[in-house]
Amino acid sequence: MKEQHQKRYVFVIEISKCIDCKACMVGCMAENQVPVEHSRNWVHQKGPNGVFPDLGMSFEPGNCMHCENPPCERVCPTRATYKRDDGIVLVNKDRCIGCKYCMMACPYNARYFDEKKGVVDKCTFCVHRVTAGLDTSCVHTCMTGARHFGDIKDSNSEVSRLLATHEHHVKLAAAGSGPAMYYIY
Amino acid sequence: MTTKLRKRSPGKGGMTRRRFMEGSAASVAAGILASRLGGFENLALAKQRADEVSSYLREIPTVCEMCVWRCGLRAKVRDGVVVKLEGNPDHPHSRGKLCPKGNAGIMALYDPDRLKTPMMRVGERGEGTFRKASWDEALDYVAEGMKKIKEKYGPQAMVMSSTHNLAQLQFENLMQAYGTPNYGTQRSLCFNAMVMGFTMTYGTSDVGGDYANTRYIIYNGRNLLDGIANSETQDLIAAIQRGARVVVLDPRFTKTASKAYRWFPVRPGGDLAFFMALNHVILREGWYDVDFVEKHTSGFDILVEELEKCTPRWAEEKCDIPAEQIFEVAREFAEAAPRAFAHPNWRASNTLNSFQTERAIAILNALVGNWKQPGGLLPSGGEGGGLQLGCYAQPPYPRTAAMRLDGVPLKYPLVPLKLGVFQELRDAVLRGKPYPAKGWLIFRQNPLMSLSDRARTLEAFRKLDLIVTIDILPNDTAYYSDVILPESTYLERYDPLSVVGNKVFLRQPVVPPLYDTKSALEIFKLLGERLGLYDFFQYRDEEDYIKTQLKTVRISLDRLKQNGYYEEAVHEAAADREAEMVFQTPGGKIELASKTLEQVGFDAVPKWRELPRPDKGKFYLLTGKVAQMTQSSTQNNQWLSKHIPENTIWIHPRAAAVRGIKDGDMVFVESRIGRIQLKAKVTEGIRPDCVWTTFGYGHRSKGLRTTYARGALSSDIHQSLTDPVSGSQALSQTTVSVYKASV
Repeated sequence: MKEQHQKRYVFVIEISKCIDCKACMVGCMAENQVPVEHSRNWVHQKGPNGVFPDLGMSFEPGNCMHCENPPCERVCPTRATYKRDDGIVLVNKDRCIGCKYCMMACPYNARYFDEKKGVVDKCTFCVHRVTAGLDTSCVHTCMTGARHFGDIKDSNSEVSRLLATHEHHVKLAAAGSGPAMYYIY
Repeated sequence: MTTKLRKRSPGKGGMTRRRFMEGSAASVAAGILASRLGGFENLALAKQRADEVSSYLREIPTVCEMCVWRCGLRAKVRDGVVVKLEGNPDHPHSRGKLCPKGNAGIMALYDPDRLKTPMMRVGERGEGTFRKASWDEALDYVAEGMKKIKEKYGPQAMVMSSTHNLAQLQFENLMQAYGTPNYGTQRSLCFNAMVMGFTMTYGTSDVGGDYANTRYIIYNGRNLLDGIANSETQDLIAAIQRGARVVVLDPRFTKTASKAYRWFPVRPGGDLAFFMALNHVILREGWYDVDFVEKHTSGFDILVEELEKCTPRWAEEKCDIPAEQIFEVAREFAEAAPRAFAHPNWRASNTLNSFQTERAIAILNALVGNWKQPGGLLPSGGEGGGLQLGCYAQPPYPRTAAMRLDGVPLKYPLVPLKLGVFQELRDAVLRGKPYPAKGWLIFRQNPLMSLSDRARTLEAFRKLDLIVTIDILPNDTAYYSDVILPESTYLERYDPLSVVGNKVFLRQPVVPPLYDTKSALEIFKLLGERLGLYDFFQYRDEEDYIKTQLKTVRISLDRLKQNGYYEEAVHEAAADREAEMVFQTPGGKIELASKTLEQVGFDAVPKWRELPRPDKGKFYLLTGKVAQMTQSSTQNNQWLSKHIPENTIWIHPRAAAVRGIKDGDMVFVESRIGRIQLKAKVTEGIRPDCVWTTFGYGHRSKGLRTTYARGALSSDIHQSLTDPVSGSQALSQTTVSVYKASV
C-alpha cells in the first residue's frame, strides 16, 4: 500500500545539464496558451565570465518558485493569489483585479500582466497536467533532463533522491520566501 | 492514364473540409494565439482540463520537419486544432523530447504569413506583387514553361534544387524523368568536406560516435548545443555527466565550449595543423593501435613520412594552440582509446583546408583503432540504410547527354554527383556557360539566402525565363519567383516514409490542410503528368504511394497510422555482418594514404597548406547556428523569433574598443563584395581576430511580416570560395572590416 501523505511539489534544476535551448519556454507557450509577448519561464545566461580565453558560462532555467511563504499571496488585496496544500501557488483570475502588487512583491520577477485579460498570470506548475498524473510541460520536453519536478515529501521521488545526494541552493534565500525550486550546480 | 488525385476525405469527427476551414479560421484567429482558456484558476477547472488531457485530445504520431533530424512526435489535437507537440518516446531521434523548434511547429502551421493558394507574379520580379491562381492555372503555366524550355533548349536548361527532405526522392524522380542533370542541393554548402573526407578514408561517411561508452570526444566546429541534433545533443550531455572528457575547437566560446573539459579558440583553418600534430604525436610516441593499423589500414609509411615534421611546436603558431596542450590532448585521446573518438563534424572550420582537415580527423580515429569499438566510431547505419522499402516498377530515365553546370565531374572529378557543387551551378547560370539555363524549379529551399554572394544569385535569377518555388512560406526565393506553389505543412500532409535503421516512421496529416495547399507528392504528380511523365508517377495519391513503400514491410498503413512506426526484427545474419571489418574503399582497407586522391592529383595524405590570413585590422567572418533557428526557414515563427528577433555581430572587446564600438552599437561589416549593418555584441567569447554572426536573418520578402528586414544576411558579404577537392564552399575564408555606422 502506498502511504497517503500530503504532497509538496517542487522543481529541481541541474544547472550543468541546461543548454539554454529554450524548449521549456516554447513548450510552455503551447501548453498554457501564453500570449506571445510573455513567458512563464526563462533561462538566464550567466557569462561568459572571465577574460579570453579563460572563460566560464552557465545557464539557469527558472519560473515561479511556488514559494512556501509566497510574498505574492501576502500582498494580494483580493486573495486572488493563493497557495494550495500541495504547495502550488495559483492566481484565481475571477478575483484578480490587476493591481500588480504581486508582481512588485515577487522576488523572482516570475509574474506578468496579461493586458488582454487584465489579470496577472504566471506558471501554474502545469496543474492540469500534474492532476492528470503527467509531468509538467517544461520537464517533459527538456532534452537533457536538466529539469525535474516531484513530491519532496516522498523520499523515494526523483527530486528527493537528487536533493539527498547533491549539494543544492535556492535563489535569493535571504528574501525568506522559501522557494520550491532547488538548483544543483 | 487519368489519374487525378482523389478528393481528400472529410476530416475525422464528421467535419467536412469546408466546415473545418470555417471553424479553424475562427478558432485560430480568436483561439490558440490569443489563448482561449489561459490559466487554471481553481481545482475544478484544473480537473476539467485534466479530463480533457485524457479524453478530448486525440494524439496522432507523426514526424517533425522543423529541421532535418526528423524526430518522432505526437501531435495533440483538440477540436481540429493542434494544441501541443511532444516527442514520441519510441522514436530514436527524439526519445520523447523536442527541441524549441520542434515545440514551435504549431506556429509554423498557424503562421499568419503562410502561402495559402498558388500565386502568379504580376509585377516586376522582386517587386512582390502576385495574384492568386487556381492550381490548374498555376500548374499548367509551369508545365507549359518547362515544356517550352525542353523543346527549345533541351531539358538541361532547367535547373532543379532542393534541400534534405523526405519527398526529395520524388523530386529527384521528377527531375530525372524530365531529363535535366542540373541539380542543386545544400550539400556543398554544408558537409561535402566531411562526407568526402570520411568516404575517402573509410568508404563511408555514415559514421557516428558511441556516446554511451566513450571517455573522450574531440569536436572541431561542431556545436551540438546550438546546432541541435536532438538525440545526439542528449547523448553529449549524458556523456559529460558520466564523466567523458570533451575537447572543443571553436574560435568562439560556444555553449558546447562552455561544457567542455578543454576549449581551444583555434585559428580558422589552423585546425588542420592541430589534427596533423595529434597524429604526429600518436605515431611518434607509438600510441597507435599497431595490430589494427597493420590489419585494417593502408598507406601507413606515406603518412609517417608526411607527418614527420608536424610536431606540436610546428602546429602551435598555425592553430594558436600551445604545443604542450596539443601533446596533452594526444596523450589523453590515446589513453582513452578505443573509447575515444574525434567527431566527424559537419564543416570543420569551413576553409579551403576543410577536406584535408576531415581526412586528418578520419585518420586520427583510424590510428587508435576505435572503429566499431565501444566508445569509438560506429557506422551509424542511419537513414536510408537498413530497411528496404517497396517502389514502383518504372521505365528507365531518359539519357542525359549534357554535362552538368556545376562542374562535376570535369572540374571536380571526385565529388559525387549526389553532392554536387551548388555555388558553381549558380555561377554557371550567371555566366550562361557552358550553356544557358532558362528555368529553375525550387523545392523547399531558399537559395537566395543560403547561397553565398546573394547579389550573384539575384543576377543569375535575372537570366531565367521561369522561376518556380514550392514552399510553405513566402520566403525570399518565392518572393523573386514567377510562380509560387504552396505546399501543406508537415502537420497537414503525408510524405514518403522515413527509415531509421530497422524502423520505419510515418509522417501523416494531424489536421487537414488549413488552406488551398497540397503535399509535395501530389504537386510532383500533377506537374509530372502535365509534362507527360505518367509512367513515373504511378501512385494514385499519397496513401497509395506509402502502401507501395510498405509492400516489403509487414505492417498495414492503417496500423502504421495508429502506431506511427514499425520495427522490423534484426536478423542475426545482418547483425553478424555488422561486426565485420569491411571497408568500401578501393583497397578494402582504411586508407591512411589515398591512391584515388593521388591519381587525380590531390594530396594522398593531409598536407599543410598555409591559407591567407586577414589583413591587419580585418577579421575572419564566421557564421554558425543558434538553437532556436533552422537555417533561414524559422525566423518568421513567432514563438522562435521572440527569442532571437535579429542577429548580432560578435566582436571581442579589444577589437571593439579600438574602433569605438560599444555593445549594442550599429556597425557595418564589410567584405570585398558588400556591406551589411548589424548590432554589435561585444563579448569576451570570441577570438580578437574573428567576428561571428548567425545565418538566416535579413529577409527581403515583405510577405514575412514577423522577420522582414530584421537583422542582416551573411550571404550578402560571404564570398563564394570553393575547396577544389570536395567542392565545399569555404565560408570562413571571407575577411571583413568592421566599423561603426555613423549616425
